[in-house]
Amino acid sequence: MGRLDARAKIIGVVVFVTVAAMLTVTELIFAALALSVIFAAFSQVPARHLLKAYAGALPFILIASVSVFLFAGIDRGIGMWARTSACVIALLVLASATESLQLFAGLRRLGVPKIISTLLMLTYKYIVLMADELVRMKTARKARGFSGGRSLFDLRGLKIIGYTAGMVFVRASDRAEKGYEGLKMRGFNFDLKTWRQTRLAAADLAFIAWFAVVSGALITFQLGAFA
Amino acid sequence: MSILEIDGLSFSYEDGTPAIEGISFKVESGEKVAIIGPNGAGKSTLFSLIAGFRTPFTGKVIVNGDALDDGSEDKVRRHLGMLFQDPDDQIFMPTVEEDVAFGPQNLALDDIQGRVMNALRSTGTEALAKRVPHRLSHGMKKRVAIAGVLAMEPAILLLDEPTSGLDPRARSDLIGLLNGMKRTMLMATHDLEAVADLADRVIVINRSIMFDGTLADLAHRKDMLEQAGIELPSLSKLFSRLKDMGYDFRHIPVSLDNATSETARVIDEMGRKRQGR
Repeated sequence: MGRLDARAKIIGVVVFVTVAAMLTVTELIFAALALSVIFAAFSQVPARHLLKAYAGALPFILIASVSVFLFAGIDRGIGMWARTSACVIALLVLASATESLQLFAGLRRLGVPKIISTLLMLTYKYIVLMADELVRMKTARKARGFSGGRSLFDLRGLKIIGYTAGMVFVRASDRAEKGYEGLKMRGFNFDLKTWRQTRLAAADLAFIAWFAVVSGALITFQLGAFA
Repeated sequence: MSILEIDGLSFSYEDGTPAIEGISFKVESGEKVAIIGPNGAGKSTLFSLIAGFRTPFTGKVIVNGDALDDGSEDKVRRHLGMLFQDPDDQIFMPTVEEDVAFGPQNLALDDIQGRVMNALRSTGTEALAKRVPHRLSHGMKKRVAIAGVLAMEPAILLLDEPTSGLDPRARSDLIGLLNGMKRTMLMATHDLEAVADLADRVIVINRSIMFDGTLADLAHRKDMLEQAGIELPSLSKLFSRLKDMGYDFRHIPVSLDNATSETARVIDEMGRKRQGR
């Protein structure tokens, strides 16, 4: 899946997620969840990575599901969990199987306004810089014997963490400024558009078609259930 | 006319601390000039000033005939290609070839395909064209960054610590690559061995210019080296010590080629003297 055009992946997954989010029939919601799991299994994204990412999203999914369960009953609560999980798994596969910059470039080529795609790209770069600085700072702290800050009563430890957190922002900001200078040196005009204008290949079209068929079938059954 | 003219350039930080004071020099087309000096001497600030990233300044900066002032920064930058110390600061796009095409595309230059291919070829990164740049080694990222700069065909290359963070192999490859380029270059560096291989001229700065000449001349100025906190390459140090021991070296070699010819000359002279006895 890594070799597919980012545009094909975005179109396929967004269509599927939109349809899955609209489903209300329990059987169809579980069918969408099963399809999402099948998609994950064929995506070649390591299962461990996906499970870890899903575990990160699980608290939010559970908050939504438990809220629905409390107000509308267990069936609706389980339905909410399955529906949200189907969407989250598909989106996690998309994010994991596509380089972030490819993803943003794909969005740009799909017609997302340049200000949005450029902001996404620059925000992503800034987050990477911050994460990089955070790791350096943590290593530097550990290298000098710091192991505090694990308890709310460890005031000295919390103070040090506060100082270093501030330093992370200062250093990341310095590097971000350098990055901006790098962009300006290369004639940046607030549009990180890609150069190659490749066409979608047969595999990309097949990928989109698969999602179109699956999503079409789900929505047809959904509408049929109310006919 | 010089391709770069700097006249009486001074700049202070926001808190009033002077960063550089009264710097003046000219660079001719095709010249390779090394800017050296201790940490905090103002080397990187000088580059930032030339590229129009630090204002306000006093003095004059003229790049390829265009004077730098408020509003002309973009025009001046078109003549410049800057290689940052950390290549991650200047690589943005999802693939190597996209990144190399980034500058020419922004500047609406012609024949982007040809420029990308030439830049990739001249930096030996053709095979990486479709790769994700952020996953490359530091040395390869430097090459990609150079390719991105070359594709814009700037009149002057500004290289900020080009050899920093490179392992010996990547460093020597990069020096070979830069050496093969017939371009005007200004490099800020601590790496005097690289300077010996690359630069025609050396400017020592420590806020202001302390020396302007060749590295071979600088090697004889022990006072200047000490004052500016500059360490000669190990090879030059060895010959300096041998000279102090009484060996008849006319100058302190700064490169392997110089050292070889100077050593051969001294050995020949010593042989002749022995035969004369």
